[in-house]
Amino acid sequence: MPENGKLFKPLDPLLHSELRLAVMSILLDAGSADFVYLKSETGATSGNLSVQLDKLQQAGYIEVTKGFKGKMPQTVCRITDKGKDAFAAYVEALRSYISTDKG
Amino acid sequence: MENNFSAENSLRLIAETIDRSRRTIARNSGKPLILWGALVALTSIIIWALWSKTGSAVWNFLWFAMTAIGFVCMRFLTRNSEKVPETEVSRMLGKIWMWFGIFATGFFVLVWAAFGIRCAIGMEGPLNVDMTLIIVLLMGFCGTLSGTVLKFKPITISSVVATALSVLFLMVMSNDSAIRILTFMILGVFALIVPGVILQKQTKN
Repeated sequence: MPENGKLFKPLDPLLHSELRLAVMSILLDAGSADFVYLKSETGATSGNLSVQLDKLQQAGYIEVTKGFKGKMPQTVCRITDKGKDAFAAYVEALRSYISTDKG
Repeated sequence: MENNFSAENSLRLIAETIDRSRRTIARNSGKPLILWGALVALTSIIIWALWSKTGSAVWNFLWFAMTAIGFVCMRFLTRNSEKVPETEVSRMLGKIWMWFGIFATGFFVLVWAAFGIRCAIGMEGPLNVDMTLIIVLLMGFCGTLSGTVLKFKPITISSVVATALSVLFLMVMSNDSAIRILTFMILGVFALIVPGVILQKQTKN
């Protein structure tokens, strides 16, 4: 507990991971993005990105649609309303940590 | 890459990721600006030349041909470019220019309809509408809005400068209908090509 007696808001463990947070940040701005774009923007390996996307999907934070663009397979990720709410709550919690540190 | 980073680092990561993603998207915006700027400038010169030679304003229909050519060129231009998703910003930009297109085309159609009705009912005298001025103001307004939404000052500043120069040019050249069409050359160069070149240079850097 901090000195001023305020309780820290709990941080969502699903979002408190660099790669998952980066993916959610991109999707929050773009709404949806394909796997290739997410991979290039985050610099993650395909295997790691797949695992993290799966975790976000299981939590209901994103929807993953597999399809084709022309003849090429395409995986599109879209942020859900639940994901947006979780992200907003996470940022709010982060702010409480920073304001408590300063205050 | 797991859960051992501070609150400050998390917020920094969010800001940096969004910023990097937006820059990736902006990377592909320079060439379309240059393309549309060149098309607008070139079309205005062609219309001015034909209008001056024939004395007929009907050459203004070439603007529709320019739009069609522009969309075909855009397909080729974006074919090999990096595939980036749409963002709220790009969607907003699309809507701003979609409404510009609807207003400009609607206005053009209304003016020709009014002209037709006046001819049909035998009304004489010129139709007192400054089409060029209204389109210039619409275009300048949409360009300034685009720069503001993108948070890219060169677009905002060049749109304001281009609109001011264009309106000044229109007022000075108020008696020559054909030469007034060259206003779009000023707009094409200053409001589209210049910020497009700046964006391209920033991308390369």
